[in-house]
Amino acid sequence: MAFEEYLEDPVIQKYLHELVGPKGMPVAAAPPEGEVTDEELAEELGLELNDVRRALFILYENDLASYRRLRDEDSGWLTYLWTFEYDNIPEQLEGEMYELYEGLTDRREYELDHQFYLCEACGIRFEFEEAMDFDFECPDCGSQLESMENTALVDAMDDRIDALVDELNIDVNA
Amino acid sequence: MSAESELDLSEDERRGLELVRESGGIHQSDFWKELDVSSRKGSRIVDSLAEQDLINRNEAVYEGHNTYLLTPTAKDLDFSLLMAGDMLSPFVGDEEVNMHSDQFTQWLMNLAYEE
Repeated sequence: MAFEEYLEDPVIQKYLHELVGPKGMPVAAAPPEGEVTDEELAEELGLELNDVRRALFILYENDLASYRRLRDEDSGWLTYLWTFEYDNIPEQLEGEMYELYEGLTDRREYELDHQFYLCEACGIRFEFEEAMDFDFECPDCGSQLESMENTALVDAMDDRIDALVDELNIDVNA
Repeated sequence: MSAESELDLSEDERRGLELVRESGGIHQSDFWKELDVSSRKGSRIVDSLAEQDLINRNEAVYEGHNTYLLTPTAKDLDFSLLMAGDMLSPFVGDEEVNMHSDQFTQWLMNLAYEE
């Protein structure tokens, strides 16, 4: 097996699992050295060929695998030879960190621009305007809606945004 | 893999790589001063590290002059910043970032409560 140092990282394990799902995980978690066919993988791992192919194409879409096709001269059949490209994992995750940063900064603005009301019984949050439309009563259970602080949430977002800015060397003045 | 090439680094290159990693990002004009080597030697160290993909080198303007910003490669990033509790960023694998999705709200709750 190749790329052990990546596969030991719990975040990378989560990431691969998120991409290929539980059925594809045996494929994603055991990348062989060099080229391999889908059939060889299915046999080695004891999996359905369809599940192996599905996982390989998801990895391909995320730049984590590549293939070349060979045509058998006699039968005319195409064989796909796959190579795992896990050296691209760090760049992919770096991209995900930028996405998260964008999501956090947008959401932070929304949290600061709105006032929220909570139905404590149902655990549902409403924006001020919504709550007013409902006369500050939960539309589901009729309980009184209570004004809700989101300071802790915004503080937590600030901390993570700062950490991402620092780690990615984002120029916040740009 | 870089793990192998790192073994072949000279002492100065190793110190330079350490400096870039620890600083998280440093301008080349500060780099050679911090390392206490000449600017020419500093530039050779940077060439070598950048060629081996051990650091990134990008043009930058710093204190009014043109220099390079030296940063660690993606491999050195702290990917755990994608996690909140045991939940991975919900934007992973999705084409679009939906900042109002229930999953992101759940992720934010995890983030706020793990403190």
